[in-house]
Amino acid sequence: MLMFKRKPVKTVLVCCGTGCLANNSRAIYEGLKKRIEESGARASIRPVTKATGCNGLCERGPIVKIQPDDIFYCGVKATDVDEIFERSVLNDEIITRLLYLDSSTGERVKSHRDTEFYKRQHKIALRNIGEIDPASIDDYIERDGYRALEKVLTTMSPQEVIDEIEKSGLRGRGGAGFPTGVKWKQCARVDVFPKYVVCNGDEGDPGAFMDRSIMEGDPHSVIEGMLICAYAIGAERGFIYIRDEYALALKNMAAALEEARKRGFLGRNILQKGMNFDIEIVRGGGAFVCGESTALMASIEGRVGEPRVKYIRSVERGLWDKPTVLNNVETWANVPVIINRGAQWFRSIGSEGSPGTKVFSLVGKVKNTGLIEVPMGITLREIIFSIGGGIPRDREFKAVQTGGPSGGCIPKELLDLPVDFDSLTESGSMMGSGGMIVMDETTCMVEVARYYLQFLAEESCGKCVPCREGIKQMLGILEDICAGRGREGDIELLLDIGATLQEAALCGLGKTAPNPVLSTIRYFREEYREHIQNKYCPAGVCKELTVFYIDQEACRGCGLCAQKCPLGAISGERRRTYTIDETKCIKCGQCRDTCRFGAVKNRGRRHDNNH
Amino acid sequence: MIITIDGKQCEAQYGEYILDVARRNNIFIPTLCHSDALPGQGNCRLCIVEVLEGKRRRVVVSCSYPVKGEVEVLTNTEKIRKMRKNLIRLLAAAAPDSDFMRDLQREYGLEEEERFQVYRGEDCILCGLCVRACEEVGIYAISTVNRGITKKVSTPYAEPSAVCIGCGACARVCPTGSIKMKEENGRREIWGKTFALLPCPGCGKPFITREELAYVQAKTGLEPAEILCEKCRQKRAARKMRDVFKDVTMK
Repeated sequence: MLMFKRKPVKTVLVCCGTGCLANNSRAIYEGLKKRIEESGARASIRPVTKATGCNGLCERGPIVKIQPDDIFYCGVKATDVDEIFERSVLNDEIITRLLYLDSSTGERVKSHRDTEFYKRQHKIALRNIGEIDPASIDDYIERDGYRALEKVLTTMSPQEVIDEIEKSGLRGRGGAGFPTGVKWKQCARVDVFPKYVVCNGDEGDPGAFMDRSIMEGDPHSVIEGMLICAYAIGAERGFIYIRDEYALALKNMAAALEEARKRGFLGRNILQKGMNFDIEIVRGGGAFVCGESTALMASIEGRVGEPRVKYIRSVERGLWDKPTVLNNVETWANVPVIINRGAQWFRSIGSEGSPGTKVFSLVGKVKNTGLIEVPMGITLREIIFSIGGGIPRDREFKAVQTGGPSGGCIPKELLDLPVDFDSLTESGSMMGSGGMIVMDETTCMVEVARYYLQFLAEESCGKCVPCREGIKQMLGILEDICAGRGREGDIELLLDIGATLQEAALCGLGKTAPNPVLSTIRYFREEYREHIQNKYCPAGVCKELTVFYIDQEACRGCGLCAQKCPLGAISGERRRTYTIDETKCIKCGQCRDTCRFGAVKNRGRRHDNNH
Repeated sequence: MIITIDGKQCEAQYGEYILDVARRNNIFIPTLCHSDALPGQGNCRLCIVEVLEGKRRRVVVSCSYPVKGEVEVLTNTEKIRKMRKNLIRLLAAAAPDSDFMRDLQREYGLEEEERFQVYRGEDCILCGLCVRACEEVGIYAISTVNRGITKKVSTPYAEPSAVCIGCGACARVCPTGSIKMKEENGRREIWGKTFALLPCPGCGKPFITREELAYVQAKTGLEPAEILCEKCRQKRAARKMRDVFKDVTMK
């Protein structure tokens, strides 16, 4: 049944994920394909669709890989096609200028495996992405795809499957970290049918694209994970809930389901073992709260996407009040590997309490932005400074925000914190689905809290009072503080209301909504005080509290700031000094970002009275 | 099974909500979005209590927390009182023009709001009872629309609803009188739609819309003459009672 194509001599993998596509990788793919077809060369082009560019390094996309030579080209342009074809496809030459440039050593690196960005990564959930064509089920099968399904159907009882997953210690990658095996066991125990298997692909955290990449780049791994669970709990129907903004994920997932049906992995009498299971895609309408499991189920049922009280768990009464296992995309992608390689192997990776790996989208003020998969227990410092290459322009690291909008900010004192479910929660943040936003000294922590609260105010479902009204009022106070209207007692009031939300809100969204505020107060209380008492924003972000001036001692008179200023508010003479006209200044901060001598400073409004 | 609420031993059934057990035992837990006819909403969170289960101590909403074991419940700890006060303070700022909220504010010793943004002109607390009532009647004319801080109760696109029968169940269940229902000259106006009221076959007073009458008839199979206003219905019930027990004398 499984037919493999003959292995081509050379394979050119062109990243066609959303990130690279935006940088015109489609033209590179078409160009290379055309050259190869015309010349009849012994290579075949395989498009690899992956959200963030090849293996996550979207920062340097578009990416072209040539196998088996293990060449990794980044920042490729359509005009490079001819040269790549002539030198690296027809011949075995390497085009040095297209190789990855290591910013710390200044050296060009041939294989991506030797780069700082990839060296420390460990790919389990992302094992196939960037290596296979997501439109090809054969590519997936070639890399052990559907072997785990075959294994459970032929050699394992449902109980053995559950035991294996439980022993592996796999915890839900959607954020809460609930043990997956325990969830399956609880659902299998309930003697009510039908049962359902649901995949949560409603990734809504700003800056997060882990799940999208998996659904785009390796949809079969999700399908196989769900199949294995369906076998374990005795379900015949599954749903994949994908937010409608993820056009490519929807397309690739739909195509993968169709392929899987054709090959007999879905439908009736799967692999002639008597198992029946099929999966439907449900498109989400874009509400952040629909990533909450019970709101998601309400949405699948066609009701308003609001969470319900969860004193009775979804494993007992979930979708249409029937026992339901809901897991996140990344969790599903881990399942087939655990079955294939065993719980012991999985436990050997990561930390004691959080085995395995976690995918993060590393974004913000960091040199190598992109998608990474690292073993749990790795420190934040390794992620940000080794894999991420540190902070651009050698600015100072200030904090890293993890866990999405309702996560928290972790300061530099905790850079050596091991990243796993429990230590992140202890620090006042959380794992969340894996967003990781790096912030430098030019980030205002009060403004960060205000930004996230604004997001949550719009995305709360509005059903319960603490979440709807509490976020609204906390946001109002933060807006006041950022605008110089902060009052004595505001910090204490924020803490008080925040504590009420944590305990009294209905769902996870509301309970974690105060995190951005509480964690920034916990670690950056002094910055709040500066805003409230001295009407001063140390980072120079809050416009009402910022007054830029040029330090005449430090200014070298290069005039770059005057060139950059969009309002012509800076005047002066070259090789002498420049000054800012405060009446014209809109505090965009471009002059400060431009100045190489640190001469543009912020004196805040507190000195206004002295003038 | 026996559960303890504020030190009192209370008999409870498996699956019963804590709020129901407490009320039966004359233990007061405040609620806003709860109605005996439409239970288990869990929106206002005012009915929070602390539940001690083994070593675990957590805050739950008593209107929808089912009794599953012999737990201890504390309805009025300092923590709970503080959180309730915060909830009322938040709601009072959201719906300052509701007498209901003002009374509650006073009851909890809260002063005039100084720090929160107060939304003048607003009296809806989004308890959701109106929407539930409309759903229970089977009409689905109103719903909550939007989400987050822009959430409100409305007909589709805030236009007069095509399916509304003007029964007024939503207005009757509203705790803050936020839903405006106007009745004069034999007409009823609600949700931007005006209905003609038909007279009660018993007393002749206008009481029901044509649309509601048709709906009730279709649903119950009653003749129009049997569908009476509330007062006449009570009288009829009393008469029936009298007829049934006419030979019984009180001693």
